[in-house]
Amino acid sequence: MSLFIEQLINGCALGSLYALFAIGFGLVFATLGILNAAHGTYASWAAIAAYWAVDQLGLPFPFAMLAGVAGGAVLALLVDQIGFQPLRARNAGLLGALITSIACWIVLDSLADSATGHQSLSFPLPAYPSGMIHIGEIQFATMQGISIAAMLVVTVGMHWLIRYSRFGAAMRAVGWNEAAASLSGVNPRRVVMVTALLAGATSGLAGVLGGVTTQNVSYTLGEGLMLKGFAAVVVGGYDDVRGAAVAGVALGVLEVMAAQYISTSLRDGITYALLLGFLLVRPRGIFGGVAFTRA
Amino acid sequence: MSDWFQDLWAAYRSTLGFAMVNAFFSLSTYAVLSAGILSFATVTYAAAGGFIGTQLALQAHLPVLLVLPASALVGALLAFAVALVFLRLDSHWMALASLALVLITRVVALNATPLTGGVNGLSVPLFFPFAALAGLLALTAVVFWRLSNSWYGIAARAVREDPAVASTLGIPPRRIQTIAFVVSGAVGGLGGMTLALMLQFLSPETYFINIAFTMIAAVVLGGSYHWAGAILGACVFTALPVIAQAVLPEFEKVLNGVALLLIMIFLPRGLIDPRGWKLRRAAKSP
Repeated sequence: MSLFIEQLINGCALGSLYALFAIGFGLVFATLGILNAAHGTYASWAAIAAYWAVDQLGLPFPFAMLAGVAGGAVLALLVDQIGFQPLRARNAGLLGALITSIACWIVLDSLADSATGHQSLSFPLPAYPSGMIHIGEIQFATMQGISIAAMLVVTVGMHWLIRYSRFGAAMRAVGWNEAAASLSGVNPRRVVMVTALLAGATSGLAGVLGGVTTQNVSYTLGEGLMLKGFAAVVVGGYDDVRGAAVAGVALGVLEVMAAQYISTSLRDGITYALLLGFLLVRPRGIFGGVAFTRA
Repeated sequence: MSDWFQDLWAAYRSTLGFAMVNAFFSLSTYAVLSAGILSFATVTYAAAGGFIGTQLALQAHLPVLLVLPASALVGALLAFAVALVFLRLDSHWMALASLALVLITRVVALNATPLTGGVNGLSVPLFFPFAALAGLLALTAVVFWRLSNSWYGIAARAVREDPAVASTLGIPPRRIQTIAFVVSGAVGGLGGMTLALMLQFLSPETYFINIAFTMIAAVVLGGSYHWAGAILGACVFTALPVIAQAVLPEFEKVLNGVALLLIMIFLPRGLIDPRGWKLRRAAKSP
C-alpha cells in the first residue's frame, strides 16, 4: 500500500511539471492564438539560468529558482516581441506565428545545446533541498513536495487571475477578439506582453523544477516537457487553467503507474492513446465548453 | 569543365535527392493547407507508406515501381480515415490533434516490431534510379497543376478563404476538405516511400515531428498559395542547412533558424505569391 502511495506522489510530482508547463502553453494558445513550438526552450533556458545562478554566482536555491523563472519570462517576452509582434501587424494568423516559433525553437534549442557544452548538466548536490519528507511510513523527496506545492499555487493563482480579476477579463477579451477588446478600452499590446511574461515564467518554473528533479539540464529537458505538456493541454482543454492542471497531474500519475504496474515500454504509448481517445470522444477537453464561432 | 561538373554532381547529388523527397512532403502539407487546414499528419501518412511499402518490397518481393503506388494508396486510405475523425474538430483543435497523431505514430513505430523493426530499425536494400525520382516528382507536380485549375481547385480556394461563403455558393466544405486529406495522404505515402529509398534505412525516428515542422515551414516559406511554392520551399529548406554548413559550421542550426525567421518577417506570404504578382500588375496598368 505504501508503495502505491509513494508512486502516487511520484506521479503527482512529475505531473505537476507537465501541468505547470501546460498552463503556460495553453495561456499563449488561448490568449494570443499562437501554437508556440518554442515554448519548451523557455523551460530549458530557465533551467540553464538557474544552473548558472548556482554554479557561477553561488546563489542559494530560492534565488536560483527566481533567476530561472525570470530568465524564462524574459526569454518569452523577447521571442514574442521579435518573432510574433511583426506578424501581428500583418494578421498572419496561426500559420505565420507557428513558423516563426519553429524558427525560434531551432535557434534557442541549438544555442542551449552549445550553452551546456553538448551534454546534460546536473545541479551540484548541496545547492538544492535534497532531503526526504517522512509522513508515517511514506517518504518522498522534498523537491517533489516543492513541485506539487508550486503547481497548486500557480494553478489557483492563474485561475483567479484569468477568471476573476480585471486584467484576466482583458486577457480573455483579447483572446476572443483583439479589435473589439481595444475598442472597449483594453490595451492589447500590454496584455500580449504580460501574457508572454506569465507563460514564460510558468514554463520556466517547470523547467527549473524539472531540471533539479530529473538531474538533467540540457535542451532535451524542454523537448520532453513540450511533448507531455502538449498532451496535457489537449486533454485538459487549452482555454482552462484547471483542465490543464488536472490533465497534467493525471498524465504524470498515469505514466508512473503504467511503468510500475503494466510495462515500461508502453509508458508513452498509454499517454498518447489517452490523448487520441480524448480527441475522439471529448475534443474540447475535460472542462471544455461549447464553442460559439462566427459561421 | 566536365570534371568540375562531375565533382559538383557527386557533392550535391544527395542534397538534390532529399530536396525532391522533401518536395513530396511539402506538397502533401500544401494539399490540405490549400483547403484551409493546418495538419501535421503528413508524417503519419509517410510512416505508413514507408513502412508498409518497404515490407511489401521485402516480404512480398514486389518491384519498386509497384510498391510506390501501393504506398500512395496506403497513405490515401489512412488519410481518409483520419479525415473522418478530424474534420469534426475546428481549426485550432485540428492542428493540435494532428500533432498528437504524429506523437502516436512514433510510439506505434517503436512498438509494432514485426512491421517496423522496432528500435533496431529496418534496412531498405532497394535501388531506385535518380531519374525515376525526378520523373515521379514531375508527374506529381503535373497532377497538382491540373488540380489547381480544376473545379476542385477553385472550390478548395473558396473553402480556404471562407467555408461559410463557400457553402452558400453550393460548395460542400466537408467533402472538399476530405478530398484534400486524401490527396495529402497519397502524396505523403509516396514521399514516405521515396524517403525510405533515399535513406536505405528506416527507424522510428525517421518519421517524426521534425519532418512535420520543417515541411510546414517549407510550404509557408515557398508560398502557401501556389503548388510550386511547396516545391520551391522544400528546395530552399533542404539547401539552407547545406549552405549554413559551408559558411558557419559551428552555428549551422542557428543560421537556419535566423534565416527562416527573417524570411517569415519580411516575406510573410512566401516566395511565390500569386496575389502579390496580380497586385503589382494591377498597380502598373493605367
